[in-house]
This record gives sequence, structure tokens and C-alpha cells, in this order.
Amino acid sequence: MGIKLYEEPKLEKPILLATWPGIGRIGIIAIDYLRKAIKAEEFGQIEPWDFFYPKKVSIRAGQLEDLKFPSSKFYFTRTDKKDLVLFIGEEQPTGGGYANGGKAYQLANLVLDVAQKFDCQRVYTSGAAVAPIHHTARPGVWAVPNTKRLIDEVKEYDNTIIMSEIEGREGQGNISGLNGLLLGVAKRRGLDAVCLLGEIPFYLQSPVPLSRPIVYPKASKSVLEVLSQILEIRIDLSGLDDSAHRVEEKIEELYKQIPSQIKSGLEKLKHVSRAKELGPITKEEMKDFKEHFDEYFKGFYESGGRRFE
Amino acid sequence: MNTLRDFMKVEGGDLNKEQVKFTSQHRFQSPALVVGWSEDIGRLGPKVIDLLNKKLGCEEFYQIEPAGFFPFDGVAVEGNVAQFPESRFYCSQKHDLVIFKSALPRYEWHKFLNSVLDVAGRCKVKEIYTVGGIASLIAHTDPRRITTVVNRPKLKEMLREYGLETDMNYETPPGGAPTLSSYLLWVAKRRNIPGANLWGEVPFYLAALEDPRAWKRALGFFDERFSLGISLEELDEEVERQTEKIERARIRDPEVDEYIGKLERAGKLTWNDSEKLVKKIEEFLRS
Repeated sequence: MGIKLYEEPKLEKPILLATWPGIGRIGIIAIDYLRKAIKAEEFGQIEPWDFFYPKKVSIRAGQLEDLKFPSSKFYFTRTDKKDLVLFIGEEQPTGGGYANGGKAYQLANLVLDVAQKFDCQRVYTSGAAVAPIHHTARPGVWAVPNTKRLIDEVKEYDNTIIMSEIEGREGQGNISGLNGLLLGVAKRRGLDAVCLLGEIPFYLQSPVPLSRPIVYPKASKSVLEVLSQILEIRIDLSGLDDSAHRVEEKIEELYKQIPSQIKSGLEKLKHVSRAKELGPITKEEMKDFKEHFDEYFKGFYESGGRRFE
Repeated sequence: MNTLRDFMKVEGGDLNKEQVKFTSQHRFQSPALVVGWSEDIGRLGPKVIDLLNKKLGCEEFYQIEPAGFFPFDGVAVEGNVAQFPESRFYCSQKHDLVIFKSALPRYEWHKFLNSVLDVAGRCKVKEIYTVGGIASLIAHTDPRRITTVVNRPKLKEMLREYGLETDMNYETPPGGAPTLSSYLLWVAKRRNIPGANLWGEVPFYLAALEDPRAWKRALGFFDERFSLGISLEELDEEVERQTEKIERARIRDPEVDEYIGKLERAGKLTWNDSEKLVKKIEEFLRS
């Protein structure tokens, strides 16, 4: 079980930005977009075989050429203000359930081993917050730190809320998968960490097959806006606008097909400016709407609907 | 020449004593390792292994402990008997051959395959063969081809001389996953051990049943490759018995005859017709 570093860049108290895929691929789209924007260089990886099964074999003229595994790669860059280490995991390990059990914990520890080797002082992860918002709304970002000391700081970020500001939550919640677990493992090591969760409308959290996941780049953009503030860097987000626009067109295509009764319920959400105002619809209505939307999603895909990419 | 008792004396060796259970003592020169998995299309892998063991009088000498590789949430019952996953090594000292038969592990494939190759390494195995079935759109009366995938170009040339197909092109399709045999070949390549996957054709309607003609073809290859001198007569009888049974099914059911006839003329069946043929043959041969 190993870490393989191709080089050891000299970095000064870098910030680690780590992510694995989850609902809407919000975090991974955000961090991967950032990686390309800041031209971060790959400098290492976690060897996959103890965490993942191979996903593809290539045979050419009777000879085994390669076996491909999901990647878990490290990148670095130095910006004007801060040095950064990025970690992007192509998949979450499934041993013992989805991102559950010993494998996820081992992987989280390996990521933090690398971070601490470079004297990393702060960790950010990113994922999705399933929220009662409309898809035409600008998604907010839920910020969850792993220590009370950071609450005041994260409240200062633009377009960000903390769990206790969300109606009915009383500061409670759950971040599933490694984007959440890494915060806990960092806490155990005394390392400050924050998870930035981009909001996705609850009805888009559909039961589509994993091979055809819904993507929600609009929320990735919200996450990146917060990150650019934290990292004090300017990022051209127009590329994300384009993908967000394409996805929204497809959502609208689907939205047109849902019954007016459901649609009028969801329309109430258009008047909600922040997820913390649950007001217009009840939890029962949300459940009902989601079930209806799930049915439409299934039908959409079964009839050969294009991917939400 | 090394003995298995020597394996356990080696300090800091690759062999994980917790995973590999020592049971007796044998000697090897530079053997080949033949690997088959207990669940296989046409029962090709397990049957070839069982036949090699029986015909060569192989002895069991090693087993991999199942903990960590298999679920322990109960036992499967097959043929009214409770089963337990087994991963056993056998050998024929006379023929300098090591054989490994195992249930397909559920977890920790990489660790499991390395345990297999640790034993292979200690036995100074010079080449590895996996044997398994691949469902094919052929009739049971057609000859069986064996397609091979190698991890060294040199092996390919050698295997071609035995009449094996050596020019396969393949990429895992979306949603699919590589087999454990491909994975073993890849791990062997990384450990510098030459190896080949042997994929024996099995008519798709015999995939869940038995295919003695495919067993014979694969066993014939090993016989020739390692000069084993084993008799394949009993397999001829099994082939004949099965062919007769299927002939009776063809006489009794014109649809079965039509579908198989089409395959014999290298024709194609629709998905529905293929499914019907599978169902009818399975019902007939199991009754």
C-alpha cells in the first residue's frame, strides 16, 4: 500500500485541496477545473491496487498491454500568495460499502501523510449539499469546519452558510464519503480542515446509474468562487459557465415534461433566496417531488436521453 | 532444488505465513503453474484442474487461508452440501507441475494474487497458465478453439505452435471489468513471471453446464506442452454422451434443431432465439 512521489517540490506551508466524486460531481469538477486553471503539475499518486479493482484491460494482438485502475493523484502549484497541493481521487474505494470502512480510512490517512510531509497547514475538501433550491437559483455553499475555531472564519466567506443557519438542522448533519471522512481524520491529527458543499436541488439527486451521473457545474462554480476568495487567486470561471448552461438546458428539457402540479410546487422554490429558508414547501412535498422527478429521470435515460454533462 | 520447508525458514521473504498455510514438503525444478477458478463457463477451469490432478496423481501441498479474501457471513449450499471457499495448491513432482485451484476471492484481489505468486516464486515457477472458458456463438459440434493472451511476446510465438489463437484484440467495454485471470497475468508481468491466459471456447448454450469437448481441447494442450502422456479417452466418451443427449433434444424439439443447425452453418441467432436455446438445452440436459 503505497504513495509514489515522482518529485518532492519545495513548498511553503501549502494548502491541501482534496476531492473525490460524489453527488453532482460538484467537488471533483471544481477542483479539476482549478487544477487546469492554475496549471498544477502532477507529482505523485497513491498506488491503486489495495483500494480499487481494475476497471479496464487492454489486449493488443494477443498481448496484455495494460490494466487500468481508478487514479488517485497529487498535484502542486505555487500561486502569488499561497502554495497549493491538490489531490483528486477518480473513485472512492468500495471495500465494505461505499467509501465505508477500513479502505476509506486508509486512503484518507495516506492523503494526509503526503499533506503533512509537505508541512500542510490547512485542508479543504468539496462535495454536494442536497438542498431545497430551484435549479435556476445560484447555489450557495455550506461550509463545515472540523474545529469550532474556524466557524467565524468560514462565516466570512461569500455566499456561504454554516449548518446551524439551515432551518431545522441545529448545526447537525452528515457528510458522506471521503470528502467528509477526510475532515475527521484531519481533526484526529490536529489539522484544520473545511468542507465546502455546493448546493444541488434535491430533485436532481436522482437514482441514475453511476456510469451516467448527473453533473451540476453551477454548484462547482459556487465552490470555486469561495475557494478563489480563500486562496486569494483570480480564476476565469467562464468555462464552468458554459458547462453549467448546457446542463441547465437539459434540466429545462426534462422540467418541461413534468406534470404541472409538481412543477407549480417546485416553482415556489424560485422565490427562495437561500436554502436556509425552507418555507415554501414541506419535507413531505420534497419527498413527493423527488419521487416524481426520479421517475422522470429514469424515463429520460431509458428513452436514450443525453448525459447531463 | 528447494523444498517447501525451506520456504518457511526464509526470513523476510515474500511469503506471508498468515495467508499461506504450509501442509507438506515437495521438491521442484522449474515448474509451470496451471491456475483454474472453481466457477467457470462450461466448468472448463475446475474440470481441467481436477482432471490434471487425477491423471497425474497430484498431491495437495499448500493452501491460502481464506480470511480477508472471502465473506464469512455464512456458507453456500450446493448439491445439498455446505461449501467453503478453498484455494489449494497441488503438484506433480514427476512432471514438475504446480496446480492451483481456487474459488474466486471476493475481496483484496491484489493481495490474493500476490499470495499465489509468492508461492509460485518460491517454487521457482517458470511460466504460468490460467485456464478458463469463454462463451462463444458456436455449435457444440464445432471444434473448440483456444485463444490466448500473453504477458511476454516470446510466449506468443511458442503458443502459436500448439495451434492456439494468438491475435486477440480486446478492451473492457464500459460497465465491464477485467477478469481475475487478466489481473493475475498483469501482476505476474510486474513480477517478471511469463504467463498466458488460455480462453477455451464454449458454446453459449453450454456456458452454465459442462463442455467436455472444451475440457478435452484444453487438457490436450497441457498434455502436449508438458509431455504428460495422459489419456483423453474418457473425455471422448463424455463428449459422445453429451452429443447424443443434445441430438435427442434436437429430435424432440424442432426449434432446438433449427437453432443449432443455424449455428452449425455459421449463421447468427437473434437475442430471443439464443435465450430460448439456452433455456431449452439447460432444461433438457438437467432433467
